[in-house]
Amino acid sequence: MAMDLIDYTIVGSEMQFVEVELDPGEAAIGEAGAMMYMQDGIQMDTVFGDGSQQASGLMGKLLGAGKRLLTGESLFTTVFHNEGQGKRRVAFAAPYPGKIIPVDLGQIGGTLICQKDSFLCAAKGVSLGIAFQKKLGAGLFGGEGFIMQRLDGDGMTFVHAGGTLQEQVLAPGETLRVDTGCVVAFQPSVDFDIQFVGKIKSAIFGGEGLFFATLRGPGKIWLQSLPLSRLANRIIMSAPAAGGRSTDQGSLLGAGILGGILGSDD
Amino acid sequence: MHGSQFQGRLFGPGLPGAGIAASGQWDALGRLRVTPHESGQAERCADRPEIAAAGFNNASLRLSWQQPEGAYALVVDGVDDRSRCAATAPEHCNRQLAAAVRQPDTLERRFRLGWGLLALVLLMPLLGLVLFLLNADRVADWVVDKIPVAQEARLGELVLAQTRLQMKLIDRGPAVEALADIGGRLTEGSVHRYRWFVAERPEVNAFAAPGGVVVVFSGLLTSAATAEELAGVLAHEVAHAELRHSLRGMVKGLGLRALVALLAGDISDNVLTGAATRLTELRFSRDAEREADANGLQRLVAARISPHGMVRFYERLAAEQRPTPPALLSTHPASGERLDWLRREVAALKGPWQPLPINLQRATVSLR
Repeated sequence: MAMDLIDYTIVGSEMQFVEVELDPGEAAIGEAGAMMYMQDGIQMDTVFGDGSQQASGLMGKLLGAGKRLLTGESLFTTVFHNEGQGKRRVAFAAPYPGKIIPVDLGQIGGTLICQKDSFLCAAKGVSLGIAFQKKLGAGLFGGEGFIMQRLDGDGMTFVHAGGTLQEQVLAPGETLRVDTGCVVAFQPSVDFDIQFVGKIKSAIFGGEGLFFATLRGPGKIWLQSLPLSRLANRIIMSAPAAGGRSTDQGSLLGAGILGGILGSDD
Repeated sequence: MHGSQFQGRLFGPGLPGAGIAASGQWDALGRLRVTPHESGQAERCADRPEIAAAGFNNASLRLSWQQPEGAYALVVDGVDDRSRCAATAPEHCNRQLAAAVRQPDTLERRFRLGWGLLALVLLMPLLGLVLFLLNADRVADWVVDKIPVAQEARLGELVLAQTRLQMKLIDRGPAVEALADIGGRLTEGSVHRYRWFVAERPEVNAFAAPGGVVVVFSGLLTSAATAEELAGVLAHEVAHAELRHSLRGMVKGLGLRALVALLAGDISDNVLTGAATRLTELRFSRDAEREADANGLQRLVAARISPHGMVRFYERLAAEQRPTPPALLSTHPASGERLDWLRREVAALKGPWQPLPINLQRATVSLR
C-alpha cells in the first residue's frame, strides 16, 4: 500500500493542533469534525467508512462504518486532497486539552493499538480498524474497555489524548503498572493485562481502584496523564450548577465498576 | 542450516525502542539465529530462547533470551510466520511452543464464554417469557391456588367498581331476586358470598368476576324463555367463578406484564386497575369454556334443575340469524362441537327434574 508521506507541525502546548503539509496530489484523512482550517486548493471529500479501501463494495463500506461506530467515532471520515499546484496545508485540532502525538507506523512495525476515540488524523492509506480486547479481565477492569482501535499502514498517524502524553520504551520483559485509563496506545508486541492492587485495604481506600493495568515489554507505549473522564469528573465536582456530588473515578466506593464494561473511555 | 525463515521484530539493548524488523531461523544445532533486515546490524544468536505467548491478545510468539548486554526478544506475530517458527523449532522447545500456540485459542474460548454468559443474562427475561408462555397454565394454577378467598373477594369489588363506571347495574328488584333464587340453588355450599346484578344492556351476555360477583345483561334475561334456560347460563357463569377462571387469566396477564416490564422497562401504569379493567372484557380459553360447561352441568344436576334448558338456550342462540352473533356466543364460543357434547351429555342424564318455581316473564317485565 502506497502511503502519502506528509510533513507536519504540531502547534500549541496544552491545547494543540497539528498542521499537515500536503504535496500536490497527496491526501490526509481526518476524524469528522477535527478539521480546523485548510488552505486554497485542498478539496474536502467525505467518505463512508475509513477511506482506506476505495473499491470494496457496499458491504465492505458498511462493515467499515459499523466498526467505526463501535469505536465511538462517526460513520464518516473526511479525506483532504491537495488538488492545487504547490504545497498546501490543512490543520486538525484536538477536541480537548491534551497532547497530540505523531506516530510513524512504518517505524513501529505497521500496527498500533490505541484507545478508541483517540484517532485524530493520518496520511491517506492508513486503515482504521477495531481490535477486540479478548482478555476478559483486561476488558472489564483495564480501563480501556473491550473495544480498542487498530491503526494499520506505514504512514504518519496522529493520536490525541488528555493531559500530558508520554512515550515510553519497555525493554523485553520489563513491566510497568499503569493506572487504568491512562494507557493511550501501544505496539502489538506489548502485553496488556491487569493486576490486582494487592491488598483489600488499598483496593477500597487507596483510590486507585481494584486493578492496575500492566504493560509488559518489549515495545513502545504511550501514556496519558489525565484521561478526559477524570478531567470532566473534576470539573463537574467543582461546578455548583451541576450539583457536583461526585468522586474521583477509580474508587470502588465511588464510580461504578460497570463503566468500564459499557465502554466509558476513561 | 535447515528450516525456513520467519519474520518478526527484534527488541533489545541498543536497538530502537520500537524494535527493528528481523528474520529468525533455527539452525542445525537448534539455536535461534536472528538477522536484522537493516544493514549494519549484527546477527544475534540464542542457544535456548524462552518461548511464550505475548502481545495484544497473546497473538504473538515471544522468543526471549539473555545476552551479556541485556535481554533480547524476537516477537513473531504473523500467522504464517508463527507456524513456520513452530514447524522448524528444535525438539527442546516443543513443550513451550505448544503451550504458547494454544494460548490465543484459550483466550478466544474464554472471551466467547464470557460474552455468551453476558448475553444469557441479558436474554434471561426473554427466556423467562418463553418458558412462561409455554407453561402459563401450570404457573397460573399454582399461583391461583395460593390466593386466599378474601383476596379474591376484594378483586371482585374492584371489578364491580369498574363495571359500575361502564354500565348501570341494578342490584334489587324482581329480576335480581329471580337470579339470586336460581343462583342460590346452583352455588350451595360455596365458599364465596355470591352477589347478583342485572346490567341494563341489550346484549345477550353475562359474566362472573372473582369472588362471586355475577352480572347478567338484561338482553339475556329477556331472551331466555324459561327459568331453566336462565339457570343453564347461570350455571355456566357460576362454574367460571368457582373454577377461578378469571383469576387464572388475570395471573397470566400479570405474569406476562411483569415479564414484559422486565424486558422493556416499566410500561405499566397501575398494574392492578389495569388488570381489573381487562378482567371485565376477559376472553376465556376454549378449554376453560368446556370446563365451565361440564361443571355447570354438574351444578344443574345437583340442584335437580332440568339441563334441557341450557341446551335449548344455546341452540336458540346459535340458530338465531343475526347480523352480529350474540355477545354470549362471541365471548363464549358455542361451537358446534361444544353444543354436540352438551346434547350428548344431557341425553344421558335421567330426571326427575324439579321445575323452578319462578315466573321469568313476570320477573323481567320491568326490563322489557
